[in-house]
Amino acid sequence: MTTPDEDMLITGAGTAIRGVAGPAGLLRPAVPEASADPTASLTGRGLRYKDRATKLALCAGRDALADAGLLLDPGLAVPGESVGVVVSSNYGNLDTVCDTVSAIAAHDYTATSPMALPGTASNVTASWVAITYGLRGVNLTLCNGATSGLDAVSWARVMVRAGRVRHMLVIGVEPANPVVAELVGPTFDGAAALVLESAETARERGATAMARLGRHARRETHARAVGDVLGGLLDDRVDLWCRPETAPGDRVESAEEQDLTALLGPASGALGVVQCVTGAAWLRERAGGTVLATTQGADAAAATVLTGAGAAL
Amino acid sequence: MTDVLVTGVGAVTCQGYGAAALSAAMTAAAPPVPQRLTDTPAVMRHPLIHRVPGVASGAVALAASAVGEALDDAGLELRPDLRAGVVLGSCLGEAGPDGSPDFQVASAVGRLLGAFGANISVSNACAAGGFALCLAADLIRTGDADVVITGGADAYSRVGWASFDRLGAVDPVRCRPFDRDRQGTILAEGTGILVLESAEHAHRRGAEAYAKLTGSGWSCDAHHLTAPEPSGEQIIRGMREALAGDEPGCVIPHGTGTVLNDLVESQALRAVLGTAADRVPLYSAKALLGHTGGASAAIGAVMACLILRDGAVPANVPLDEQDPRCEVYLPVDAPVPLPVPRVLVNAYAFGGANASFVLEAA
Repeated sequence: MTTPDEDMLITGAGTAIRGVAGPAGLLRPAVPEASADPTASLTGRGLRYKDRATKLALCAGRDALADAGLLLDPGLAVPGESVGVVVSSNYGNLDTVCDTVSAIAAHDYTATSPMALPGTASNVTASWVAITYGLRGVNLTLCNGATSGLDAVSWARVMVRAGRVRHMLVIGVEPANPVVAELVGPTFDGAAALVLESAETARERGATAMARLGRHARRETHARAVGDVLGGLLDDRVDLWCRPETAPGDRVESAEEQDLTALLGPASGALGVVQCVTGAAWLRERAGGTVLATTQGADAAAATVLTGAGAAL
Repeated sequence: MTDVLVTGVGAVTCQGYGAAALSAAMTAAAPPVPQRLTDTPAVMRHPLIHRVPGVASGAVALAASAVGEALDDAGLELRPDLRAGVVLGSCLGEAGPDGSPDFQVASAVGRLLGAFGANISVSNACAAGGFALCLAADLIRTGDADVVITGGADAYSRVGWASFDRLGAVDPVRCRPFDRDRQGTILAEGTGILVLESAEHAHRRGAEAYAKLTGSGWSCDAHHLTAPEPSGEQIIRGMREALAGDEPGCVIPHGTGTVLNDLVESQALRAVLGTAADRVPLYSAKALLGHTGGASAAIGAVMACLILRDGAVPANVPLDEQDPRCEVYLPVDAPVPLPVPRVLVNAYAFGGANASFVLEAA
């Protein structure tokens, strides 16, 4: 409420995508086929009853918090109450839910495992991220269709502006598993995460910014969303456009275009966050420019602008 | 700061359709009798439910019904030029024919209304409706919307009901929060919808308001996936943030009827209210309606509006015997006057996601 839009910064990012070595890896033209599962880096007890989306989110979230200087060894560098998390996923724990449905249909409720059942809760991934890293601030789970990832980034900004937290961890995650494959076909398998905070907060703790979060719009059509975020902005010039999963009727004129769906597969609720992490990495490498991320679904389209952090701090 | 007003309410519960039916049930204070589920594959130990009367329908249909009522109540028509959003919470989502969920309830309702702006589906389990309400207020306060249709909705889901049963969280008798012999909760269908408006927008069109949303506090236990953190540290923080030092005239607790949750919430309330816990009345919503999951806090908000309107806290559904460890004031004999026009509503969820908010007379 009190912080202007232009003062919201991305100060850290992380990925958990097979073959992608961190956020900068999203700028490469192809992903190596043979590579390690990023969740192999997780250790400790309790992994057996965590679904794949949760494991991926834990990896990407950990790396984003560390990149932002918020997660040190052994724990958070700031009070847990000041850090929130919002997770965007449309298929997150669908495997656990559907396995439960199948078990009940084939037998009865006694065929289900009491250890696994808490994993049917819709907010299981955000909960585990909070429990694992001690995040006691805002804890949100959004399942909002194709625009969900960009919506999550936007709501993270609202949470910081509203003064609910000082730092927001945004995670977009989708798991590839037989349940999701049967439902929608082959999909993205991974997670991306970023840390959002105000310029004032970042300055106070000496954080380095990757990018500045600009305007966001969620509208009925792609053209309206894009028009509303670009109107009057730098003569509408876009240096990098991270385009939606499906081709919009209206194209965006840009110097470069990144089709993350072609690179990684359909990322559904994770796409918007993957786009913002890609854009932030692109801006960090080039020390400036304008990135436009857009997503669209049957019900709505969303657009978000990122610009170079410049002299933000 | 922009004031956020509630200008319309709608509800569907096991007590019937409409806020008027809810209000009548609050006055009657009769314990609802749970029905037995007839979903054959879902063989459960305690197959109990509080169903919405009439033809079975999903979360979207329930929400849509209450949205229509709330908009009528607010005297508001959603025109294309209105800066409006739809923010809805759901724990179980819209269950498909095979039982698998689709969590995009807000999107579906937004489509029905022709509202394509800042629509968001909040999936924060049993606290989803409370988070949705607070998010909706934030959307207005940050200037991103003038009107937000908000609340929560949940309907029967085989997975949801079976999970609670398998976890041993179902009371075989009835939902009896704070009772000495409580054994769990009984899940229920329902929805609560509120029209939130910026004070400026409401005043410009001459709308009357039930209440003003004056405070909210969020926290996360970061402790356990299903159990509350025993000291209640984070739910205390959430309540204190929401109240900002003021004493409430009534509390609508999360109070599900599960042994540990009610105990921790009672102790947290005493920590927040001090000796005032002996005289600040609690209104135990789930004793009247069962646990409506992601709708429960939104229905609690509708109840808070009705309590503020009437200036009295209805008598609670009688307890067999209050748990002496739950040192809270639950009036059961008759309504009590609302001492201060300020109601605190609590919403807690799996994962330790906590939201508290305060509604005051407008």
